[in-house]
Formats: sequence, structure tokens, C-alpha cells
Amino acid sequence: MSIEDIFLEARETILQCDQERAVRLAERALAEGYDPVEVISSGFSYGIRQMGELFGRGEVFLPQLIMSSEVMKAAVQILDAAIIQGETTQYKGTIVIATVEGDVHDIGKGIVVSLLKTQGIQVYDMGRDVSTVKIIEKALEVKADIIGTSALLTTTLMSQKKLEDELRKNGLRDQFKTMVGGAPATQRWADRIGADAYAEDAAEAVTKALLLLNRT
Amino acid sequence: MGGIRTAGDLVARMQMAKGMKIKEAKEYVAGKLGISTFELCDEAVMQEIRESLDIGHVQARDGASIGIQAKFNIAKLLGIDIRSVENFKRLTGLK
Amino acid sequence: MSEFYTRYGDGSPTRVSADEMRRDLEVGTNDAADRGKIPALSQSELDHLFDICTRPDKTVSVERGNEVVVTFDAGTLKLPIRAGVPMDRSSAILTHERAFCSDTMELAHVDYSYKQLKAIIHEETAAMEHVQLNTIIPIFYGAMPNLGLYTKPDGPIENWSELLPLAKISEAKAAQEEAMEHAIKDMVYVASRMYEAGADGINFDTVGASGDADVLASLKAVEILKNKYPDIAIEFGMSGEFILGMHGDLFFDGKRLAGLYPHQQVKVAEKAGATIFGAVINTNSSRTFAWNLARTVTFVKACTEAASIPVHVNVGMGVGAIPNSNTPAVDAVSRADKALVEIGKADGL
Repeated sequence: MSIEDIFLEARETILQCDQERAVRLAERALAEGYDPVEVISSGFSYGIRQMGELFGRGEVFLPQLIMSSEVMKAAVQILDAAIIQGETTQYKGTIVIATVEGDVHDIGKGIVVSLLKTQGIQVYDMGRDVSTVKIIEKALEVKADIIGTSALLTTTLMSQKKLEDELRKNGLRDQFKTMVGGAPATQRWADRIGADAYAEDAAEAVTKALLLLNRT
Repeated sequence: MGGIRTAGDLVARMQMAKGMKIKEAKEYVAGKLGISTFELCDEAVMQEIRESLDIGHVQARDGASIGIQAKFNIAKLLGIDIRSVENFKRLTGLK
Repeated sequence: MSEFYTRYGDGSPTRVSADEMRRDLEVGTNDAADRGKIPALSQSELDHLFDICTRPDKTVSVERGNEVVVTFDAGTLKLPIRAGVPMDRSSAILTHERAFCSDTMELAHVDYSYKQLKAIIHEETAAMEHVQLNTIIPIFYGAMPNLGLYTKPDGPIENWSELLPLAKISEAKAAQEEAMEHAIKDMVYVASRMYEAGADGINFDTVGASGDADVLASLKAVEILKNKYPDIAIEFGMSGEFILGMHGDLFFDGKRLAGLYPHQQVKVAEKAGATIFGAVINTNSSRTFAWNLARTVTFVKACTEAASIPVHVNVGMGVGAIPNSNTPAVDAVSRADKALVEIGKADGL
């Protein structure tokens, strides 16, 4: 089986939520001597991002998205065991994520969390309606690499700016990368408030997070 | 459309009572008022009609129907039942 | 080369060339066509949109004779609550009737969910009875199905938003099915009482906010209400352009609800007995107004063509091509309204 065929089949197992086949494929890839890191990133991870995009178009649904994450976890577990200790390819960084204060919308954020977890990112999901102070405290406590915030309302969007302001005021801005998302957020908004990245949907959130962690 | 300043409330009532699309609802109301659908949103035309039919208008004039009184007349004009009017009749022994 | 003043989906202003505007209109309509598997707008419709977008007038309007009616969601929340005007709800309704000249209005409680309303139903029916004595325009009573409110910690049912990330999929599905039963009872109870108190119509607002189970519960509630009161008017207003599959395996009239777009949503709403369908198309904050408008009009046109009942397009902040801003600019709002009526063939807004 060529590496290209492995990649294609890995993506397919994710899209079809076929755990048994995914596990078999991971074992076969190792037996044939392929690089497990490459199999994860260009095969299974790619499939998960495709699932995220299909979800954003209403073509797959949340249970399938979750099931595909489970398939991914099972396959990665096999491949991880073969990765030389110390390379830590699986762990790519830590993110603290929350829906900002005054905002209780968290369906989108939940999907971002699910996808981030499949990419070897340690996620601390603080839930919804979380104050800026608490977000910063948590990020310091867990030594986060990224702070991600979501806001669905135009009225709560300002909390993303407040986070940037508070980080700067307390001399903490350089300790973290920041990401913003939610319906009223845009790249222009991210630029204006000085956030490091903006993501339009869950699939883009994964890509941008990996970029910020220099782990693409 | 302009609510009680024009014929907006009447057209809305037909959408609600009979599920009519906008064209059909406008034609129905225009037919009942004896005007063209084009005139339904004409404030000058509609002021005169609303005042003469006593179906309520934005100006608070003495002696003119308001609220439930105007709706009695609207129900008769459009040939529909209006729930609050029916309730009023029931509670006052008119029905 | 001349440039046209326009906006992005978040309301921020920009200037674009004619070529850029035309390209965005084309890409926008193609995006809707691709996602909804519906026809893109024709060249003459795109030309009409281009004309609407590039007129120098600050505001535009439909041509005389093309006027449509308006219905509201969260009606009495707007003046007394969001605008902070110290007035009661009946004053707000009369202001809409006699000063704003609205075609209809909606009585609504600040706790805008059917579940919460059963505890205060007597106060709400009394308010409707009083309002009906003084008003001429049709008055809806509205609230949201809000299925999520039946889950812990707000309700008795296991929270599927917590079960799903744990991959407890069958448990999450069962929880949604259980919540539906509670929600149907509450919607039927509250709507029945408000209709009997004189409401001219019932508004099911933001249907689907909790996903496909939220939609199915609302459809079933409409079906029950329509059997109980054949003359009841029900507006079925959606929450998003496609039904979010939180469950994924729920069907109505043989159709899977998850993933349905407006032209498909309207058919299930119609089948259940809805009188007016409230179509929703989301505004993308990052894209231009032209892109959003062409996309929205494409979805709406397919929806009105499929519908046998009137379609009122939601043109609130962040939907229906209206910029995602607390104070949407009137240039954009009036252009969206004109395009939705003249090209999308909306029956109301």
C-alpha cells in the first residue's frame, strides 16, 4: 500500500466513522514502516478537518462528528505507541478556551473543543459566560500557549478586546497567543484588538491553532 | 406596508387567517375595499377609506372606533373571525 | 475607476470597484446554490442586485406596489427592555401601532421561552386580553422552544451538550427525545392559553436553536395546535439557514430534519400546519454585503418558490444579509429589504 493510499483510506475511515478499519489501517501503516506522524497529520487529522467542514455545511451532524473524533482517538493511540519517546508529536500545546462573560452560546465552541482535542492539543474548556479575570487566571495556572475566546453577540464581542487590554495592562500579553471566534468576530476585528488569530469555523480554528503552535 | 396608516394590518390579517401569499392577500383586501392593490399603501386614499369604514386610523379622533371596536368592523369587512372580537361577544353576552 | 461605498457583514464600511462587486455577487449566489443544491441567480437578477447595491441613494425602497407586511419577534422586548424606554408592554404595542405604523406586533415576555411561561400564564393571558381591547393591528404571542432549558441544571434531563463530547451518543439522543416530550407539552399549553385569550397568532421563534430535536418538537406542537384550533395562525421562525444535527436521526413526514435548508424547511413547516414561515439565512461577518445579499436572496428565492404559505424573511441583525452590528446601517438594511422582496419574492419581513 502506498503512503498516498494510506492517507486516503485514513481520511475515509474518519469520514465513515469506521473505527475497526481505522485501527487495522494504523497497524498496517506501522507494519509497512510508514512514519506514524505523517499518517496522523496527512491522513487521520486531515479527515477530521474535512468532517468539520462538512458539519459547517449541514452535511454531517454532531453525533457523526463526535464518532469520527472517537475513531481518530483509537487510531492515534496505536500510532502514538510507535512514536519515539521524547518527540511528543502527539502533544502540541495547551489552549484555554471560553465563551466570554455575558454570553451563554457555546454550541460552536463545543465543536471547536472536540476538534482541537483530536489534534493533540490539551484543551481546558471553561464553558460559557466566563469573566476575563477567570480566563487569565486559568491560562496562567495551566501555562497555556493559547487563549481562545468565543462571542456570539455583538454586545459581548467587546470582552475579546477587554481580554487583550487586560493582558497588556498586566504585562502578560507576550506569554500567550490569542484567538477569537464567534459570529460577529472577523479578521478585521482580530487585527483591530490585536488578537493573534481569527477563525471562522471549527476546521479553521484547528488550522489556526496549529499555526500559532508552529505545529502544522 | 404602513399598518393602520394604510392597509397593512388588513393584508397581514389575511395572511394570518387564510395563509395567503402577499399577492393574494393584497388582492383580497383591495377587492373588499374597492380599490387597486397599488392604492393599498397610499396614505391619502386609505385615510379616507379607513375613516369612512370606521376601522381605525392613526389619528385619535373623538367618536371614531378604536381598539376592539375597530376590530368588530374589520372582522365584518374581511369576512373573518377575530379571536378577541369573539371573546368580547362571549363575555358581553352578545353571542 | 469608480468605486462604490458598501460594507462588510459586520457593518464596517469599505469601497469596492464594480468588478469586485459583481464578483462578490456571483460568488455569493454560487455558494448558496452549492450548499442548498438550488439554482443560482440568473444574470438579470444579478444585474438587478448590482443596481440595488450601487445606487447612490443612502436608502432605497421597493417600487410602489411591491410593499409587503412585517411581523416581529421579541416584539415587546425591544422598546421597554433593549432600548431601555420606561414603558409597559401595552404602551410599546400601541407605539408600534399608532406611531411606527407596524402591520402586526408581538406580545412577549422578557423570559422568552415557552418552558418559563407556564408558571406565569395567568399574568400573560391577562396582558393579552388587555392589549386586545386597545389595539387594532394583529397581535402575536411569541416565545422560543428552547429545548436546552429542559436539561440539567435548568431542567430534569441529562445535558446532551455534556454527553456528546464524552461520546455518549445514544444517551445524548435519548435525552433529546425525552426533552422533546416536555417541550411539546409546554408549547401546546402556553399557545393554547394565549390563543384562547385572544392572540391573533402564535409565534414559534428561533426554532432549531437547540438543533433538530428543537425543530421536531416545534413541528409536533404545531400539528397538535392546528388539530385543536383549525383557525389558529402560527408563524414558524427559524434560527439558522440549515437545521443543526444535534441528534441527526430525527424525521418528520419521512424527511430527515438535520441539514435541511430553507426551501426544504418550509415544506415540513407547511406539512405540520404552520401559517407563515420565517426563513433565516445567516450573515457572514467577514464577507461583503454584496456576497451576503446574493447568497441570501438565492436561498430566499428557492424558499418562496417552494412554499405554498407566506414566507417572512428574518431581517434582524446578523441574518438576511443585515450586517452583524447592533446598529445596522440603513443603507444596507433598506437594500436587503428591497432585494429580498423584488428578487427573493418574500411575502413579508
